[in-house]
Amino acid sequence: MSRFFTTGSDSESESSLSGEELVTKPVGGNYGKQPLLLSEDEEDTKRVVRSAKDKRFEELTNLIRTIRNAMKIRDVTKCLEEFELLGKAYGKAKSIVDKEGVPRFYIRILADLEDYLNELWEDKEGKKKMNKNNAKALSTLRQKIRKYNRDFESHITSYKQNPEQSADEDAEKNEEDSEGSSDEDEDEDGVSAATFLKKKSEAPSGESRKFLKKMDDEDEDSEDSEDDEDWDTGSTSSDSDSEEEEGKQTALASRFLKKAPTTDEDKKAAEKKREDKAKKKHDRKSKRLDEEEEDNEGGEWERVRGGVPLVKEKPKMFAKGTEITHAVVIKKLNEILQARGKKGTDRAAQIELLQLLVQIAAENNLGEGVIVKIKFNIIASLYDYNPNLATYMKPEMWGKCLDCINELMDILFANPNIFVGENILEESENLHNADQPLRVRGCILTLVERMDEEFTKIMQNTDPHSQEYVEHLKDEAQVCAIIERVQRYLEEKGTTEEVCRIYLLRILHTYYKFDYKAHQRQLTPPEGSSKSEQDQAENEGEDSAVLMERLCKYIYAKDRTDRIRTCAILCHIYHHALHSRWYQARDLMLMSHLQDNIQHADPPVQILYNRTMVQLGICAFRQGLTKDAHNALLDIQSSGRAKELLGQGLLLRSLQERNQEQEKVERRRQVPFHLHINLELLECVYLVSAMLLEIPYMAAHESDARRRMISKQFHHQLRVGERQPLLGPPESMREHVVAASKAMKMGDWKTCHSFIINEKMNGKVWDLFPEADKVRTMLVRKIQEESLRTYLFTYSSVYDSISMETLSDMFELDLPTVHSIISKMIINEELMASLDQPTQTVVMHRTEPTAQQNLALQLAEKLGSLVENNERVFDHKQGTYGGYFRGECFRLLSSPGFWYPHSLSPGTPSTSFPSLSCRPEGRLPQKRGLHAPRWLPPAAISNGLLSSPLCLTPRLSNLEVLSHTSGIKSLFKVVMVDCLLPQRCVESIHLLIIFLSFYPHDRHKARMQR
Amino acid sequence: MASRKEGTGSTATSSSSTTGGAGKGKGKGGSGDSAVKQVQIDGLVIIKHYQEEGQGTEVVQGVLLGLVVEDRLEITNCFPFPQHTEDDADFDEVQYQMEMMRSLRHVNIDHLHVGWYQSTYYGSFVTRALLDSQFSYQHAIEESVVLIYDPIKTAQGSLSLKAYRLTPKLMEVCKEKDFSPEALKKANITFEYMFEEVPIVIKNSHLINVLMWELEKKSAVADKHELLSLASSNHLGKNLQLLMDRVDEMSQDIVKYNTYMRNTSKQQQQKHQYQQRRQQENMQRQSRGEPPLPEEDLSKLFKPPQPPARMDSLLIAGQINTYCQNIKEFTAQNLGKLFMAQALQEYNN
Repeated sequence: MSRFFTTGSDSESESSLSGEELVTKPVGGNYGKQPLLLSEDEEDTKRVVRSAKDKRFEELTNLIRTIRNAMKIRDVTKCLEEFELLGKAYGKAKSIVDKEGVPRFYIRILADLEDYLNELWEDKEGKKKMNKNNAKALSTLRQKIRKYNRDFESHITSYKQNPEQSADEDAEKNEEDSEGSSDEDEDEDGVSAATFLKKKSEAPSGESRKFLKKMDDEDEDSEDSEDDEDWDTGSTSSDSDSEEEEGKQTALASRFLKKAPTTDEDKKAAEKKREDKAKKKHDRKSKRLDEEEEDNEGGEWERVRGGVPLVKEKPKMFAKGTEITHAVVIKKLNEILQARGKKGTDRAAQIELLQLLVQIAAENNLGEGVIVKIKFNIIASLYDYNPNLATYMKPEMWGKCLDCINELMDILFANPNIFVGENILEESENLHNADQPLRVRGCILTLVERMDEEFTKIMQNTDPHSQEYVEHLKDEAQVCAIIERVQRYLEEKGTTEEVCRIYLLRILHTYYKFDYKAHQRQLTPPEGSSKSEQDQAENEGEDSAVLMERLCKYIYAKDRTDRIRTCAILCHIYHHALHSRWYQARDLMLMSHLQDNIQHADPPVQILYNRTMVQLGICAFRQGLTKDAHNALLDIQSSGRAKELLGQGLLLRSLQERNQEQEKVERRRQVPFHLHINLELLECVYLVSAMLLEIPYMAAHESDARRRMISKQFHHQLRVGERQPLLGPPESMREHVVAASKAMKMGDWKTCHSFIINEKMNGKVWDLFPEADKVRTMLVRKIQEESLRTYLFTYSSVYDSISMETLSDMFELDLPTVHSIISKMIINEELMASLDQPTQTVVMHRTEPTAQQNLALQLAEKLGSLVENNERVFDHKQGTYGGYFRGECFRLLSSPGFWYPHSLSPGTPSTSFPSLSCRPEGRLPQKRGLHAPRWLPPAAISNGLLSSPLCLTPRLSNLEVLSHTSGIKSLFKVVMVDCLLPQRCVESIHLLIIFLSFYPHDRHKARMQR
Repeated sequence: MASRKEGTGSTATSSSSTTGGAGKGKGKGGSGDSAVKQVQIDGLVIIKHYQEEGQGTEVVQGVLLGLVVEDRLEITNCFPFPQHTEDDADFDEVQYQMEMMRSLRHVNIDHLHVGWYQSTYYGSFVTRALLDSQFSYQHAIEESVVLIYDPIKTAQGSLSLKAYRLTPKLMEVCKEKDFSPEALKKANITFEYMFEEVPIVIKNSHLINVLMWELEKKSAVADKHELLSLASSNHLGKNLQLLMDRVDEMSQDIVKYNTYMRNTSKQQQQKHQYQQRRQQENMQRQSRGEPPLPEEDLSKLFKPPQPPARMDSLLIAGQINTYCQNIKEFTAQNLGKLFMAQALQEYNN
């Protein structure tokens, strides 16, 4: 609806403009005509508006009168004041003006005022005489009016073109000022029949439009379609109006046809008008009836015109009795074609004409050459039918187009002596000379490519969940068939370049389809070879895989444009991935090096690339290669714009960022629905593979300060899950994964399994895979394995040893698998344990630091950096880099004697003592040193430790750990003086480390006590 | 619970840790000029405080009431500040305090404002907010103290209640509001001399003491043995985490200070160079007999960088110190417990 409205209003203003230009005597023309139309509309419905209009216009005219007076007495100041008031009044009257058009008198005063001011401005002497106020007002007013008039430029120019009319109107005006404008209108109607007629001849289209519009307003949507049709004919008629000027032969007849009724009609109307005028005060109802009648007639008149070309052209194609020859037909064809692309050509009629021409040509046996030529043109004009890129073909057009191409192909196949090519010049065409091979200009490949585009457009513009979409999708087979035919044709006759292009087209229609037949064949290996052969024969030859292979290889070898090859590779990979040929797909992807330079490709290719990557990831997942799957999907998923990246829909939030134009472009890039990759499946695959990677990793690095996330998205989901105040049973796919992750964290694979694979998830995700069961078994196995790993990471500290049999029972894995998993963990130093072969047990070394020990390590690390920073401050103070310290003071401090007066190992030379530089490389002992609890000699424990913990220090000073901390301590002592650092910190860490070294004992004891 | 706690406090002097702290406070402060040498708390105050503590996890604050007798501050009553929520932002605290005190006066209870109290977790009370409010208290009422109560530590079996005052040095610094490195240096202040701890004595009436004894007898043995719990990881972990955070802050602060120092020295160098150049030029000019270049304002040319306020780092250091003390105490005690447990085990075997 709205579209029609907007175009309607557009052309309306156009017509009114052209009216102004053409009409020779438009005095009241512009002004008079429009109120006339409207007042008719209004009289019955909106009387209120009328009085408002009067009021506003009266206000304006009054102001104008004062301005004119002021102009006469050269009072520019007054002029300025009044002009400002006028502007305001005009603003108030804006709503009315919008409806009625700018009133003539308003334009007049603007033009006059400007002229007047310019005059004054030029008149140097006069200006000198002026008083100051006036002069000032003059300049301001001049500037203002210039600015103001810019908005009314067109009106003013048109007014200035016929200034003599102004006088007329002026007089009229003065007479009728008081009467109000409506009377004025009707007065002007009676100017003269001749003028009126002329005027009318332009008016009707506008009028009918008005009428249509009004209809729409009144009974809104009910008549939509009807209106549309009406409108169509309306537009064609008006189009041919302008065509007249260009002297189109085709439309000539229609013009005459149109003229006749117009004049008749108008005369009638004029008469009626006159009558109306005579009985001005006659009751309005009857008048309205009349008008309605008139309008209706107008409508009919329109419709008749719409039909005209069809009825009239047919006999007109060739004058009767003309001998139909090649030359005549081609001349005619050119005639028709000349109109092509020009504004206002009736495209439907043109197609009609061309089809007629084909018939005639066929009837008269003019030979295939001509027919082919005309067919080419028919198809071209079918494509041309929609001027707008965004709109798509109507179904009937589309059907016609397909038929036409098919026919064309039939002819081409039937007549191998026809040469078709886009580089055959018009002049060198040979359409009828049967002795030589026929040569026709035109390119079948382009037509087919265009057809493919149209098909995509149709699919894009159909609601994917409607029956209609299915209907359209049925055409896909036809499209494929055509492409195949063309392919065959071009394989014989085309250049390699053309073959590449048609191959690509074929590939694009093949790559996304899962080849169920081939799949079936694979599943049933040759049982009865004879029968399967038969089947194969029935199955019409090649697998899509073989086909893809053949087409792509040809393109790889022959193609010269990069784009086609890139597309072919991507499609090939996609096809491999779709059919679970992971290694081929991966190798092809890696070999092509597309990942490096895909960002330079154009958006559609990038979309294809994204689709391919996603398919690759899903393929890896099906193979159980979670890591590869995760890596492939990471880029797409982490952006959070998977939908956009895959060309499967626009994101709402970025709507503000792009303008209309961009949106249109993006919309055109969208992939049709039947090519879509299920986004939920994609996300699920990603999240599950992230879960399988991340959960064991998290368990292994629980207390690592610098642990990295593998997948941010997954963590985000976990956090969202944690934030839920009330945790119900999972509903969505994400919730399922989160719940499963939680179960896995505890090593509870059964719960995890039940969350990942259940009815809901099957329905949502897993059943979408072609080999759903295989995927599910793979998944269960993966969950078992990763749960086992997680379990070992999390709970190894609780065990002294654990039997592998127990583990294999717990996780329902067979013993060798458990063995291999554990061995792998041990080798990778993830698990501090050893395998005891005879008893089939895992013996824990219990060397992982506990949580507190980890914290202490972290703290020590942080202290290290703190010390380092502190040292720098101190260096700064001293001006030399540490020389002073290391030389004198520090040696003193760090010598064992200084710090450990009761040292048990006084023999330790000071040089062997760790130096002050607790820099990163020499920083605290890595894990190993700290957690060995057995170094504490039992003697030391009983030896008065209880009395004062601090005296432990010397006894333990042989430890590397402690020497390091003592280094820190000394440092703190030194630096403290200046920088206010707590040395107690170090002291307490010292103690803490001792304490923590006891810690495993502590735990044992605690357990034993209970 | 409350009763047992008072039981520990009912002996005229408070628990060992408190006295230890008191000794330190005396030694460290070394301040004969301090107005208050001792804080005597009525058992009632502790009970009241404890009760409101039990309600939530938020930090609780309130007003201490009492009077000063010679150099002893006797705290006999208290009332809490209402917990703030977002919707009563326009609540007038001063008004509330005044009315509360007036009402108490009507019923003939000590109504002299002698300080305030606050609860804390894991000893994380050394903050700017505490410093500021204690400063304003001490500025207005010379002998006011802040009473810090740690509910978690108390739950572990030892009453943790400490009274703090700002040292006179810090008071001076705060009065001048100059926290630049130089000012602090001049004031000779370090994190150790920011707060002085005032020894606490808990005093109960005889009647209450009698009640205590009775309760002591009645309470089961198991109630008293929280002190012997060997579980330590949680508390220690928390403390370490907090300590680590502060160390991080400290580190950042030092980095900031470092950059400041570097900038200053760089500027000094530039200034020096500039001056030298000037001098040389002037010398040349003199030799040529021209008048020397006019003196320019060097401070305008080289704006010294803004020195970072050192108060924060002082506070952080103080906080680290408290944490360290906590950890030290805790680990020392736990070590003791561990050895005890071991000995017990050996004995049983």
